[in-house]
Amino acid sequence: MSVAAPVRARASVPAPRAPRVLRAVVRRGLLDNRRAALVWGGPLGVMGALVLALYPSIRRAFAGSIQGFPDGLKQAFGITDFATVEQYLNAEMFSLFLPLAAAYVAMRCVASAIAGAEEHGDLDCVLATPLARRTLVAGAFATAAITVAGVLLVAGALTEAGGLLVGETVAVGRLGAALAGVWALALFFAGVATLAAGLLHRAATVLGTGAGLLAAMYLVDVLGKLAGGLGWLRAISAFRWYGTPLEDGLDVPGLVLLVVAAALLAAAGAACYERRDIA
Amino acid sequence: MDTVIETDRLTKTYRGARGIDDVSLSVQRGEVFGFLGPNGAGKTTTVRTLLDLLHPTSGSASLFGLDSRRDSRAIRARLGNLPGEFACDPRRSGRELLTFLAALRGLPGLGRAAELAERFSADLDRPTGELSRGNRQKIGLVQALFHAPELLILDEPTGGLDPLMQEQFHEVVAEERERGATVLLSSHDLDEVQRLCDRVAIIRDGRLIAVEHIAELTRRRYRHVSVELAQAIDADELRALPGVRDVELDGGRKARFGVAAAELDGVVKALARHTVVDLELEHPSLEEIFLTYYAPAERDS
Repeated sequence: MSVAAPVRARASVPAPRAPRVLRAVVRRGLLDNRRAALVWGGPLGVMGALVLALYPSIRRAFAGSIQGFPDGLKQAFGITDFATVEQYLNAEMFSLFLPLAAAYVAMRCVASAIAGAEEHGDLDCVLATPLARRTLVAGAFATAAITVAGVLLVAGALTEAGGLLVGETVAVGRLGAALAGVWALALFFAGVATLAAGLLHRAATVLGTGAGLLAAMYLVDVLGKLAGGLGWLRAISAFRWYGTPLEDGLDVPGLVLLVVAAALLAAAGAACYERRDIA
Repeated sequence: MDTVIETDRLTKTYRGARGIDDVSLSVQRGEVFGFLGPNGAGKTTTVRTLLDLLHPTSGSASLFGLDSRRDSRAIRARLGNLPGEFACDPRRSGRELLTFLAALRGLPGLGRAAELAERFSADLDRPTGELSRGNRQKIGLVQALFHAPELLILDEPTGGLDPLMQEQFHEVVAEERERGATVLLSSHDLDEVQRLCDRVAIIRDGRLIAVEHIAELTRRRYRHVSVELAQAIDADELRALPGVRDVELDGGRKARFGVAAAELDGVVKALARHTVVDLELEHPSLEEIFLTYYAPAERDS
């Protein structure tokens, strides 16, 4: 049997249109991360439900004692008051833990699709097709955005379902706004990871860079809250623009700023990635 | 015959370290072009620069008359590539990889993947992480060929393949040539290159040191001479002849040595001063020729 006889070399082959290729990259990325919504969203949702279940007893135990905490400390760690279930859920999950987890998932999606694939040699075949590097980067960024949305939806749904079971629910609109805020923050760090992957060749280095910036920004935000004179510093922290959406409602300009910054960082990452060698 | 690959003083350095230096070559349409050199000589760097995975430090490359950097996407739509270290996500099967690559190429289906998989006995349905190196390499060959590209860039294509599959691969390359495809075959398997290629480029320490037709290379370089004379001959007499090297005497009357093709006439005339009982001339193998290109560097080092 011959595979050659009926086939003639073609004079030219047009490269497929970018949106079609982007869809293929995103589909592949989502397939690679298809378990993330359950693996990450499940435990986070269970944790949220537990927080809601514990709220009545915590409220009784801490009633009055929180007033004795220093104001700066309460402000810094989102434990201003546990008078409402939203305040308690914000302190336990939405002030640090959930944003941290969502940002990690977002950065991991990007790092593994770009630097990780490069490290493992997977890109040598993929980039021998008409795939533009910027499309690969855009696909990784879009995959991160969708994957994190899936994680947060599952986490939010489980949290709300758990709350219904114990009779401590958070208003759906308020929870949705808070999840949107976390999503925007995670997207910002997906942008950071995209820029890092545009410059660096190893997934661990990309993740480390993103995680370092995340920690630094969180510290800057806390310092800004604690030290009145350093309040202006908070402007450079993504956590300042994330705010406390579960307590105060969604900060729409802050969300827009985070999303636009994420898109700009991703675009800068794509530009760097176009210019650098694939190791 | 038009040119499919052309490089002009193509140079790539890595943070000051050498990659390739001033590589200029051209590959014609329909040609099977061998790229020979030991590990680290610069073969893979050249291939990766052609694919725009690496950006040249200086010089240029064009494929199908298109600039390797500016028109990279249009070029890549027309080629198939098997990397030297073929790798893919170990969780995914060959079929999933091919489906993804077909989508990236805008193809409606998997082309001739099924036929190729059957020929190479490639298992497209198991996760590639569960396959042996040879079986993964078969997937690599299928993904390089399935869309019937105009240009095939194959870097160490038979690594890990058993002799039966190597034979199958050689047949496929011959059919690709018949189809009109151009093949750039980077290898250090000299027998394979000698068997498959029309021309060969030899690269050493990042520099191209020869580009020749295989037949010309083996014809022109030198000959092995085996001679039997009626009387004993002095080895020094042979060594003194221009172009003669590696003289070995067997019992005084029989000698074997190498002679540069250009000096053959003088050697035959010198031997004719004796009574020649038997004389045999042999073309050297590509491997021997290859070693002559590398011997000076090895002696230097």
